[in-house]
Amino acid sequence: MARGAATGGLEAVTGAAVAGGADDVVIAARALRVVRGGRTLITADDLTVRSGEVHVILGSNGAGKSTLLKALNGLEPAEGDLVFRGQTVRSAAARLELRRRTAAVFQRPHLLATTVRGNVESGLRLRGAGRDEARSRAAAALELLDVTHLADRRRDKLSGGEAQRVSIARALAVDPEILFLDEPLASLDPPTRRTLSADLLRIFAQRAMAVIWVTHDRDEALAVGDRVSYLDGGRIAQTGAVVEVFARPASPALAEFLGLETYLQGCIRDGKGDAPAFLDLDSGATIACNDAPEGPAVACLPPEDVVLFAGRPADRSTSLRNVIEGTVKAVTPAGRLLHVVVAGDRLEVGALVTRAAFEELELRVGGPVVAAFKASAVHPIPSHGHRPR
Amino acid sequence: MQTIWEGFVEALRLLFGGDGAIYEIAARSLAVSGLALAIALVLGVPLGGLLAMARFRGRRTMVAGVNTGMAAPPVVVGLLVSLFLTRNGPFGDLRLLYTTWAMVIAQVVIALPIVIGLSLAALQQLDVGLRQQIAALGAGRLQAFVLQLREIRVALLATVMAAFGAIISEVGAVMMVGGNIRGQTQVLTGAIVQETRIGRFSVAIALAIILMALAFSANFVLTVVQQRGRRQA
Repeated sequence: MARGAATGGLEAVTGAAVAGGADDVVIAARALRVVRGGRTLITADDLTVRSGEVHVILGSNGAGKSTLLKALNGLEPAEGDLVFRGQTVRSAAARLELRRRTAAVFQRPHLLATTVRGNVESGLRLRGAGRDEARSRAAAALELLDVTHLADRRRDKLSGGEAQRVSIARALAVDPEILFLDEPLASLDPPTRRTLSADLLRIFAQRAMAVIWVTHDRDEALAVGDRVSYLDGGRIAQTGAVVEVFARPASPALAEFLGLETYLQGCIRDGKGDAPAFLDLDSGATIACNDAPEGPAVACLPPEDVVLFAGRPADRSTSLRNVIEGTVKAVTPAGRLLHVVVAGDRLEVGALVTRAAFEELELRVGGPVVAAFKASAVHPIPSHGHRPR
Repeated sequence: MQTIWEGFVEALRLLFGGDGAIYEIAARSLAVSGLALAIALVLGVPLGGLLAMARFRGRRTMVAGVNTGMAAPPVVVGLLVSLFLTRNGPFGDLRLLYTTWAMVIAQVVIALPIVIGLSLAALQQLDVGLRQQIAALGAGRLQAFVLQLREIRVALLATVMAAFGAIISEVGAVMMVGGNIRGQTQVLTGAIVQETRIGRFSVAIALAIILMALAFSANFVLTVVQQRGRRQA
């Protein structure tokens, strides 16, 4: 698996997280492109989403996530093939049909100028449901999102979290085959975000629908996703099971986005049984690393995988293959942790430590420190001549 | 001063004494302007929606034309409608000139750009995200249009108010195409002009009171509904 992942390219890793065959495919994009004013904004060469899957579209701001989502749910006409339940979506009528069998929730709730109940019924009414049917299905959706008590309120009498719950209830009321979510939690405060995301995961587990969830937040992607597609500059650069993509990003850009911020440039050499592989750095140092094809490569090292020791540890019984003796170059707070840059003779690595550990090790900027990490913590990415900033 | 006071008292006597001619004129005013308003709404709101939602060549020019039309002087509209309806004109055979139908047509021409322009502006001010959400909810084009109208209902009421105010108080076009014929095509504004000209101030004042009452009460009703709509928005 590691070798397959490290060969890079598109669809380097295929998901093992989702069971099921081709029959389960709800929607697929083949060479899908959104072109506007002669410029290609979005390219999705090969994207497949199956029922029961939470597929995260991850990317930084401006990567084109929302545009891709609109192309996938038929709001935005696109070139290439969009296949929904085996039928290619081409005409405006087919896009409407796609929207009628799916539902979307955006970053802002966008409630209509009616009651909460009226909002939740609206999708059903647009699909031709009768008054009684709409009412009972809306009631069930309100219950599901725990907003039954808000049923008679209007949109200006709701908090941001309540309004978003109503928006989600409105989407779920139509029993969509795909639920599209475009940064659904981004406008909410952290506690609201946590409870709502927990509720969503509970609901997803009960239903067979596919979920396509757009976010720029890697932690959110990790928390909710089964599979993830990383969108970079309008193109899907990598798709795979979330854990695989996070462990083995296929490009330096993705590695950087995921926060794996130490980059080591060099050449992969076979470990000959001594280690999976070695990376001979351009600087002259050599580190043991994960298996990868021989040739030029960039390795990324997650800072949380780097362990720090004080001074020169007498006890070298550590199983960590890579040990760097150096000095503390910089210390910056990183949430509840501290980010420490260790400068060795011929390489520099970042590490995350707790504040307590930092104190205990008596570390200080300019003072001596030893950084160590496993060979398996280093993920070489075959380099095509480009490097992250 | 004496004249004004006597005129005013006489006017009240006419109003409450049940002068049939005065009420007939008022009823004609309401009928002509009410019908013209209804036609302008039925035509204008969908056209405003089309200009707001659709993308086609010449759309910009049409929007510019509508905005210009909103400020068209009624006498110019009266002239244009007269030209079309006059005996030798393109629609002369219909024999519509100097009938209430001609007046309805003229008032539709005056009200239409107002209705199109104001509903277009209101629709365009709708949040793009909300329009997208409506489409994502599964609304077809017509359903999306109806839902959007519900979102702009307060602005639509303002549109109705503006259009009705413009045509009920308009005098130039109705006199030109209707002829201001007593008992046939005379409406409140034209009657006020005529009565003032011949010095029957009391009748003119009575008519003016009715006209003001009509304009104010229409606006009052619409304002009440509008404020209620605002609270519910």
